[in-house]
Amino acid sequence: MKILRKDKLDGVFEKIRANGFDIFAPVENEGNSRYAKIERADEISFDMILPKGTLKEIFFPRSECLLRYKIAKRKVDVEEADTPNDKRVIFGVRPCDAAGVGIDDAVFSWDYRDDSWFARRNNTIVISIACVKSDDFCMCTSVGSSPDDKRASDVMLYPLADESGWSIEEITDKGREIISSVNDLIEEAASEVALAELASVPVRFEIDKVTSWLNNRENFDSKFWDEISQRCIGCGVCTYLCPTCHCFDIQDEGDVYSGVRRRNWDSCSFALFTLHTSGHNPRATQASRWRQRIMHKFNYYPEKFNLISCTGCGRCTRYCPVDMGITETLERINMFEQ
Amino acid sequence: MMQSSELTTKAKEYLRIAKVDLVIGYLEGTTKDRRRAGFIRSAEEADNLVLDERCEDNLAVYLVKENLLARYKKVAIFLNPAGIRTINVLASEEQIEADKIVILGFEITGGDVRILDGESVDDFSELIAQLKLKAFDSEQMADVDEIDSLDVDKRFEYWRGEFSKCIKCYACRQACPMCYCNRCIVECNQPQWICRSAHTLGNFEWNIVRAFHLAGRCVGCGNCERACPVDIPLMKINRKLGKEVLDRFDYFVGSSKDQQAVLTSFKQDDPQEFIL
Repeated sequence: MKILRKDKLDGVFEKIRANGFDIFAPVENEGNSRYAKIERADEISFDMILPKGTLKEIFFPRSECLLRYKIAKRKVDVEEADTPNDKRVIFGVRPCDAAGVGIDDAVFSWDYRDDSWFARRNNTIVISIACVKSDDFCMCTSVGSSPDDKRASDVMLYPLADESGWSIEEITDKGREIISSVNDLIEEAASEVALAELASVPVRFEIDKVTSWLNNRENFDSKFWDEISQRCIGCGVCTYLCPTCHCFDIQDEGDVYSGVRRRNWDSCSFALFTLHTSGHNPRATQASRWRQRIMHKFNYYPEKFNLISCTGCGRCTRYCPVDMGITETLERINMFEQ
Repeated sequence: MMQSSELTTKAKEYLRIAKVDLVIGYLEGTTKDRRRAGFIRSAEEADNLVLDERCEDNLAVYLVKENLLARYKKVAIFLNPAGIRTINVLASEEQIEADKIVILGFEITGGDVRILDGESVDDFSELIAQLKLKAFDSEQMADVDEIDSLDVDKRFEYWRGEFSKCIKCYACRQACPMCYCNRCIVECNQPQWICRSAHTLGNFEWNIVRAFHLAGRCVGCGNCERACPVDIPLMKINRKLGKEVLDRFDYFVGSSKDQQAVLTSFKQDDPQEFIL
């Protein structure tokens, strides 16, 4: 059993950094917690349930440059943005966040392979810590995830009962490599060391019943959608803080002579998202937009990729300004099927 | 508590006698600390209404969403003083008909709920006049003054730090009852006035435009700041601008439904020293 002690973390980070990696970890910054670059282990916030920002931001930033263009008299110069090549280790990732990235691999490699997503994926090592704490909003166990979901994690750390460190489970080759690169700082425990109990997250609905209700075409026009989304104000909090929401918009910034083409997050909650040039909007109401969000995650994505596009992190409910969220919607649907 | 239940009982009675066909009030939320907006159409459902010190959100935002008022004859709505002033602003800007609204007024002071007398927005004129007298006092402005006292570079640094957090989820806009435009300026792209990207420049553009559009229109309900998922202190900006229009033009937003917007009206005694 391999053990990483907390007091060895700075040494571990130093070695990893010497190999050309930047270290990222969940940090608290005046109420705006996220996975951010750190220098020292004491910057890491181990206490929070989850940061507000998700791991997807590391691979799919909220705004990124795709290309630069210059328009001259008879020619257009296009310069593509460099493929990202920063080597990163993300330490202390919540398993639901890592799983979200794994789920998004499917869409980013479907009809085209997204270079910048996979360049970052290949250059990044994800070291997750299994959850020993949860809050009222966590619901990973309801959507087929768990406090130690291993999807897209290269290493999973299990907290020791005495809180002095973690037991190491190497999951991928990348994970094995990074652990072997810091081998002299890793302890080999002769006997079994007691592990902390993992968070016990209650199952809030039966996902099969929910997906079968959603799959019934008759329910597409159910009055339920109007009722459940009445108080939705149509902001992008739930989508932008979601570990799997991946919709984006392409925007040119500049003038007629030169500019930058950028990829920005976009949200199906916004009325503009589906507004046609003609003025027609096929999703004219907030109810139809909320239905789309639920259907995408629990019907269309599973149909296409055999994956539920939700890891149960609970951020959509936790940070919703009007106290909505996926959990309540699915709990209600679950009740219809009882 | 006796008092707050009086107001929910009133709401129930209004539905029972069909004085109104919709009540917008507060219901219990996901956790015991949370309250949420409820849309109540029958007297039976009205039993779920709650009113306590956690009922902070300005529910008037729903009056301008998806043409809600067109679907009802008369709507009763739980509003605190900022919410009541919202009705005045929306009526003066011709977004709602004030006589379609029955106000269930309350005020939260020091954790207690006080019921406000009145029903139509004009009934609260005196209350609003009183609020104007103590608006933006030094206690309320302490955090704004602190930033104002900094050098321009430091102030810029402060706001750059705050705005760089913005993810452009537009929760501030969507939670704001004054942001009722069908098409916001950030959504216009012929020409593109505002950078759509959530980089620091784009975030500055958005937040400054938002602030300018609310100057002389913000009633200080705080919906935007509570909605912001990254805790940008938007109320510091709103209070700064609110104080500015009060000091310069003796204008307290939402004082009456006939009040003309400060930035689109002219008075002979407006300060004119900026004219060279």
